[in-house]
Amino acid sequence: MASTVDSVFRVGGDTWHSLSPKLTRARRMMLSVFAGVVLLAAGVVAAVGAPLWIAGAVAAAALLIVIIGWPWVGRRVRSWGYAERADDLVVGSGIWFRRIVVVPYGRLQFVDVKAGPVDRAFGLVSVQLHTAAATTDAAIPGLTPEVAADLRDRLAAKGEQRSAGL
Amino acid sequence: MTEKRRVHPITPVVKVSTYLPALILVTLFSVGSAVLSEPFGLFLLILGIIALAAVALGYEFLAYRRLAFWFDDDGDLRVQSGVIFQQERRMQLSRLQTVDINRPLVARVFGFAALRIEVAGAGDSRADLQYLSDDEASALRSEILARSAGLSHDAGEAPEEPLLVVPTKDLLVSLLLRAVTVFLVLLTVFIAVATIWSTGWTGIFTVFLGGVPLAVVVTEFIQLYNFTVAQSPDGIRLRHGLLQTQSRTIPPGRVCAVEFVEPLFWRRKGWVRLYVTVAGLTKSDDDAGTEAVLLPVAPRAVAESLFARVMPGVNADLDLTRPVAGVNRRSPVQWRQLGAGADARVAVCTRGRVTRRRQVVDHARVQSVRLTQGPWERALGLATVHLDLPPGRVSASWLHFGVEQATELTRTELAHMAQARASDKSTRWMQG
Repeated sequence: MASTVDSVFRVGGDTWHSLSPKLTRARRMMLSVFAGVVLLAAGVVAAVGAPLWIAGAVAAAALLIVIIGWPWVGRRVRSWGYAERADDLVVGSGIWFRRIVVVPYGRLQFVDVKAGPVDRAFGLVSVQLHTAAATTDAAIPGLTPEVAADLRDRLAAKGEQRSAGL
Repeated sequence: MTEKRRVHPITPVVKVSTYLPALILVTLFSVGSAVLSEPFGLFLLILGIIALAAVALGYEFLAYRRLAFWFDDDGDLRVQSGVIFQQERRMQLSRLQTVDINRPLVARVFGFAALRIEVAGAGDSRADLQYLSDDEASALRSEILARSAGLSHDAGEAPEEPLLVVPTKDLLVSLLLRAVTVFLVLLTVFIAVATIWSTGWTGIFTVFLGGVPLAVVVTEFIQLYNFTVAQSPDGIRLRHGLLQTQSRTIPPGRVCAVEFVEPLFWRRKGWVRLYVTVAGLTKSDDDAGTEAVLLPVAPRAVAESLFARVMPGVNADLDLTRPVAGVNRRSPVQWRQLGAGADARVAVCTRGRVTRRRQVVDHARVQSVRLTQGPWERALGLATVHLDLPPGRVSASWLHFGVEQATELTRTELAHMAQARASDKSTRWMQG
């Protein structure tokens, strides 16, 4: 499709890395937990003696969340990607609101490697890039710790070589 | 390492006098009537106020004793401060962004000034030296600027060449001619009428106590009053303020971006306002958004000549690329104003129909490039390119260009940025 912004960087033989498929599993688990909570709410509604159709509607909502959310999570995770090019790192994300961030290595101030409790349970970490601009907002979630650590070290080394004044 | 220096011994008194009146008023309002009804109430109240003043003075005295500054062996500024949590901060002068001299009303009456030093860095990257005598403050400012420029520290104060003063009448008229002002006036009238209608004429006092929306304009007028621009070898010097005067020095080569703003009603007069983004300048609560103003109002030619001083050798009037057909369906109002331009030094973005804006961005200061595309843009084959800058007033984007155009703009911008980074030597600008 000529009208998407992705054509910008996917050409030219840069290797486009995707996120770990484990992230899809992690997010789907979160989705299931959420749907479970909604289902529980349906049970509570039925238990307190409210009309049955309300409980039914809530339960249907839980089902809908899973039916729509399940493939959506997969697409969202697949929409993320990054490429290490000669002078910059490119991070792409989003389906409806597509976004591609290009950060020159010389502009990197520091790189964070973070992991929340769910991420840790699935053996995942995320890498966040920081420049002097608050609006840069380049994050790569759902990497395995080894890939993330390698990426961080490479970025730090390249940033050091090409470091420029503010 | 130079010997440790202190701020002026009068500091505790000046600092306490800036907030004690408010503190006393609050105390009076909250417990005043209760205490007065007790036996010896007045006596107790006066005793309490004296105790309050003594505690405040004592604390400020300790703070004064703790505050010291000196230059270390690398020539960088060290500031030691804090009563309960003590800290020593090293201000790397090669990363100096601005030096401000502020004179709050009380300090100004007594001839004292506060120095604020900003270096590049995320978050809290400033040091406040309160208070110095006026002479001491300007001497220290020139010493800091000289050291950061890589000159000998006793090079003396750089001679200053006044460039322009914004006439009070122009400032007042320009503030009144903004659409925002019209809106604020209407809002103020609405609030006043609604209050009088619901609570009678006595309500008018609560309106003033609660703050009038129009106060925003008045505040801006007070802060930008007597706006003076001067050129000195260590940078452009901006001075302004009616009650509290501020003086800011922007060293050359620190300017990331400049924005030209032309509100609708200014165009007949040919007036322009300039905003500037300097890296490391973080917004603080005491200056209500005026810290980014480079020039509050001036005829276009004057603004252009000041621009030529903060971004020397830059042509801001580049040939602009226009978005492809279809943009009028994404941006029906301002599509004719959207434009993108770039040469080897800067990128130019234009937008805005009611208020025209033109951002001129130094390639060497762009941190990253972001391409975005929402669903509506995708349907029309458009995309937007954002140039990420250090935090500040100016935000630069090439809005709603064709995908091929946006791709090309991004590619050339990245190439320009790489070129600019490679040739950037602005950190110690006087050493050449």
